[in-house]
Amino acid sequence: MNEILTQQKSIYIQIREMIENDILRDILLEEERVPSTNELAKLYAINPATAAKGVNLLVDEEILYKKRGIGMFVAKGAKRRIMEQRKEHFYDDYVKKLLAEAGSLGITKKELITMIEQSRED
Amino acid sequence: MSELVAKGVVKTYGHKNVLQDVDLTLEAGKIYGLIGRNGAGKTTLLSILTSQNPASAGSVTFDGQPVWENPQVLRHLCFSRELNQMTGNNANAMKIKEYLRIAATFFPYWDSEMEKRLVREFDLDVKKKISKLSKGMLSMVTIIVAFCSKAEFTFLDEPVAGLDVVARERFYELLVEEYTETGRTFVVSTHIIEEAAEVLEEVIILDQGKILLKENTQDLLERSVHISGHEDDVNKAAAGLHICREEHMGRSKGVAVLLEKGQQVPESADITIQRMTLQKIFVALCGEEHGHDR
Repeated sequence: MNEILTQQKSIYIQIREMIENDILRDILLEEERVPSTNELAKLYAINPATAAKGVNLLVDEEILYKKRGIGMFVAKGAKRRIMEQRKEHFYDDYVKKLLAEAGSLGITKKELITMIEQSRED
Repeated sequence: MSELVAKGVVKTYGHKNVLQDVDLTLEAGKIYGLIGRNGAGKTTLLSILTSQNPASAGSVTFDGQPVWENPQVLRHLCFSRELNQMTGNNANAMKIKEYLRIAATFFPYWDSEMEKRLVREFDLDVKKKISKLSKGMLSMVTIIVAFCSKAEFTFLDEPVAGLDVVARERFYELLVEEYTETGRTFVVSTHIIEEAAEVLEEVIILDQGKILLKENTQDLLERSVHISGHEDDVNKAAAGLHICREEHMGRSKGVAVLLEKGQQVPESADITIQRMTLQKIFVALCGEEHGHDR
């Protein structure tokens, strides 16, 4: 009842996810230059330091790499790495929440599995 | 790198303490947000930082040099005050063109190309008198002065107050553009906190003449959480944490919490843990229950 409406995610996380999504959707291709932190900052009207924080996460994970004096590029194998990472987090990000909500509604695991099987048949 | 430092700044008007022992260091190359309630002392602080108003006590220095009436320092500072149709040393009778011409002689690094570009972008009729301008146009003139001054440290007092939502968004775009291209330092005061939040590297909260908080905006957002649920569950989860504000409704309770380093709210299906917006954090810190009963 006292919940508040809020932007649920940090901006730098959202910047990171936007770039990841663009790579997954082939909007940004491997070995292609990605927008600089200043370009991202201007585009979204955010502080460049925040944009840099999101981009640097991707550099640390070797999704992006820096070419000195030229800019930031999508690494080879980036798309596959993002998919692997997201698969690793799939249980924490989705399954855990699904089970918690099911638990509070009294839906059994068996019922859940039936739902999933039925939806697959669709 | 330049630095503007206020130490022990006090300002009293008669018996009223507007600023109480303010210590503040502003580093070069950052966008700061100054937020506070009406009467918190924001404009007074900005005017003292820029030598437009003498402090009752304390000092303000720029790279170690006193700011007060020091032309060597003041060439690097710009305080673009809120313009008003009625006041401002007869500025009201001036045309926009004349007002900007005076600003251009006052600020040694004035960029007249930028002035032309912004006048065009804002679609201002420079032959209009200041006294005939709408609130939005007055804001645009102060924004033009701030940007075109090219001062290393630029202070904007409520720059978006009169602007519509499209112009406000455009202002923040221009601010980020100018900042990424020049690395100038900007200090922006605003009541429309949420719109500014993502642009501000650091936020300074002024409450009743004192600096309540000065912190990296993202760090502050990350350590602020709202916990809600059954009163008993919320009390359990928030035990030992710094609670800034509480709300109740029947058995339900919500608390705004500022986490200290290493603290965490134990996750549980019984409670809802949410991020807070900068505006909600500000209200939790400076709202009625807190700000005024202290």
